[in-house]
Amino acid sequence: MKPSNSLRAIRPIQRHLTAPSYRPTSARPVLRQAPLFASATTSASPIRFSSTASSPQKEHPKSTVDPTEVSHFNALASSWWDPVGPSRLLHLMNPLRHTFISRCRAASSSASPNTNLRYLDIGCGGGIFAESAARLAHTASVTAIDPTPEVLKIAEAHKRRDPTLAAPGKLTYINSSIEDLPQPQTPQEGYDIVSLFEVLEHVNAPGPFLEHIMPHVKPGGWLVLSTISRTWTSWLVTNVMAEDVLGIVPKGTHDWAKYVNETELRDWFQGKPGWGDLKTLGVMYVPGFGWKEVTGSEGWGNYFFAVRRAE
Amino acid sequence: MPPRIPCRAHRAACPTPTAAVRCRTRLQQTRFASTSASAPEIYDVVCVGGGPAGLSLLAGLKASPTTCGLKVALIEGQDIQKNRLPKDASVVGFSNRCSSLTPASVRNLQEIGAWRHANASRIQPYQEMQVWDGVSDARISFDWDTARSLGPRKPTQPTTIAYMIENVNTVSALLGRLEELGGVDMFASTKVDAIELGTDTEQLDLSSWPVLSLSNGKSLAARLLVGADGANSPVRTFAGIASRGFDYSRHGVVATLDLSTAGWGGPDHKIAYQRFLPSGPIAMLPMPGNFATLVWSTTPERAATLKSLAPNDFAAMVNAGFRLSPADLEYLHTLPSGQAEEVAWREKHTPTNERGLPVRVTDVQAGSVASFPLRMRHADTYTGERVALVGDAAHTIHPLAGQGLNQGQGDAAALVRTISHAVQTGQDIGSTLALESYNEARYAENNAMLGVCDKLHRLYSVESGPIVGLRSLGLRAVDAMGPLKGFFMNRAAGGV
Repeated sequence: MKPSNSLRAIRPIQRHLTAPSYRPTSARPVLRQAPLFASATTSASPIRFSSTASSPQKEHPKSTVDPTEVSHFNALASSWWDPVGPSRLLHLMNPLRHTFISRCRAASSSASPNTNLRYLDIGCGGGIFAESAARLAHTASVTAIDPTPEVLKIAEAHKRRDPTLAAPGKLTYINSSIEDLPQPQTPQEGYDIVSLFEVLEHVNAPGPFLEHIMPHVKPGGWLVLSTISRTWTSWLVTNVMAEDVLGIVPKGTHDWAKYVNETELRDWFQGKPGWGDLKTLGVMYVPGFGWKEVTGSEGWGNYFFAVRRAE
Repeated sequence: MPPRIPCRAHRAACPTPTAAVRCRTRLQQTRFASTSASAPEIYDVVCVGGGPAGLSLLAGLKASPTTCGLKVALIEGQDIQKNRLPKDASVVGFSNRCSSLTPASVRNLQEIGAWRHANASRIQPYQEMQVWDGVSDARISFDWDTARSLGPRKPTQPTTIAYMIENVNTVSALLGRLEELGGVDMFASTKVDAIELGTDTEQLDLSSWPVLSLSNGKSLAARLLVGADGANSPVRTFAGIASRGFDYSRHGVVATLDLSTAGWGGPDHKIAYQRFLPSGPIAMLPMPGNFATLVWSTTPERAATLKSLAPNDFAAMVNAGFRLSPADLEYLHTLPSGQAEEVAWREKHTPTNERGLPVRVTDVQAGSVASFPLRMRHADTYTGERVALVGDAAHTIHPLAGQGLNQGQGDAAALVRTISHAVQTGQDIGSTLALESYNEARYAENNAMLGVCDKLHRLYSVESGPIVGLRSLGLRAVDAMGPLKGFFMNRAAGGV
């Protein structure tokens, strides 16, 4: 490990330790008080959605999109679908996402139909999850959005390689942030599944971001996400080991300070009326064996999280 | 540049495919109205080769509720219907192409619903196996009574080691099951003229899809192209996957034999015999009634001699193969004819324990003597972008353990599982990522079996010296140890 790398990795932690809002007396103080989980009105400083020349130069004071993230994923775009490329871990994780969703849906004693489901995939990237969701037998349509224009071009080009996906209305990509996506006119026009995979750790203000997403979930539908807990273990695994030592994740993919803990999500959603059925699943990547379920690991590593909107 | 494989442009006499009932599905909702006649028809799985492995794969896909919606096609150069076993086939003559199906293979055929379509009267389960060294006479016998497990034997445990079945019976059973299931577009008596990558048109980018041009003028695009097309697989060539190995400079001589009786154990306890000779193993495997099938691996010269013999001389040579010394056999192969008398005379001077030998061969079925060169081949990988290989297209094995067809059945079952998981999780079933688990599941296992059979062949090719003593010691030691024998038998049965 080079010294420069460890310095870079340690920076986010120092930032946290010196943050004025940090109160060591509280049990879980960091995100409660920090702007990360502040409400939409007290959101972080305005962000210009102007990362690349090809994107529309528009002012969006409420966007939770981080422009440095957009440029990072622009650079990764060309290798998105390379099975042995930088996105290999995401590809390998994808089947588990469907397993988790099936499990959540099976557990809910709901009258909601099991066919013609409508998906909204937020932060779809090159379309790994969006494509797979569109191929499922029970899927009516998938709408997939991402603020990074270059990865969406890759997604569109890759979609043309599969006649199943090219069917009209099956899979629609929109270059948009969630804030710019028109909200449903009535709750019933929402989506059965709203997915947010490996996105939360890349946004500036998770609270306001989630507030924007929630109206898109149909009553009885699910918001499903995956992210990484902000712990010493996850810092060591995702920032130091995966990016710096093993190099299996592109450098600069993760900013540890943005990670959100499962308990924080849990507490946050428990304070939202009309949302319940919280489900989590801790997963771990074991080199040579792939992604494995590890009970309890949601407390310190990668995890899936799902919450259901009441019918 | 897309690789293009020119296949033999043999026009079939009847180019009309036997159109099967198509099962309308969710995965074929996409239909692209195209004015161009050359636009390929899009399939989820196109299987080239209608042998036991390819048919087992298709039956497995169609029998599973997860994968039955896939749009699948089979392309076979032969006339499938003509080569089928008649349902009322009498139990007098048997094909010389038989296989020993392991209980694991049979279980898979039962699960996909094909086993009940087999002609049961032409299948012979066997309960015992006698294997011995032709040089030292060290012997091992396999049966579930002496192969004790560590605990007490459960009454539910099987007594059958394996099932002898004609390949044509296996194929007919699978075809019967496919007919029952429906939903496979069968292109029989149809050749593949060329395989090339598709094109990037305005609506669709098929540049990663194999497109097959058939001798009937049709063109099919395959999401997943399965090569079940034998050792010289054109699909494997298209995928640019190398297959490495060597020729054993041995031929396998096969024949259907008439025996004097049903065998020492009668019709309910059949025994398979294998004797390792320096030139290669000679095996006699029981068929129903007083019949057996022969697989004699030997040098090409001796194979040619055997094939040229009159039926009574051939029968005498098979009896000699299990009884006389390697030196006697060497001499007998130099005679152009008259083996019957020569063997009769020499047997008088060779003490044998007849109870440990197969009952005498009285005749050989007319036209059943044939031979084929023995090879060992293993493809570098079983999968590529939108390509998977099964059966002999992936591996060719020495027949001494009778594992060739079983490996193909194992491949087919594993590929069905891989495709099923991919469908359930929305993966593109032709993507290399989705296919990875198939390669992982089968490659190491097949490689180990190829290695073991190869080593056995080499071990028993040695005629003298310390190796003969060591191998005999090893064989006797295994024979004396029930649990170890049980372990080997479980492995041979396909793992339990």
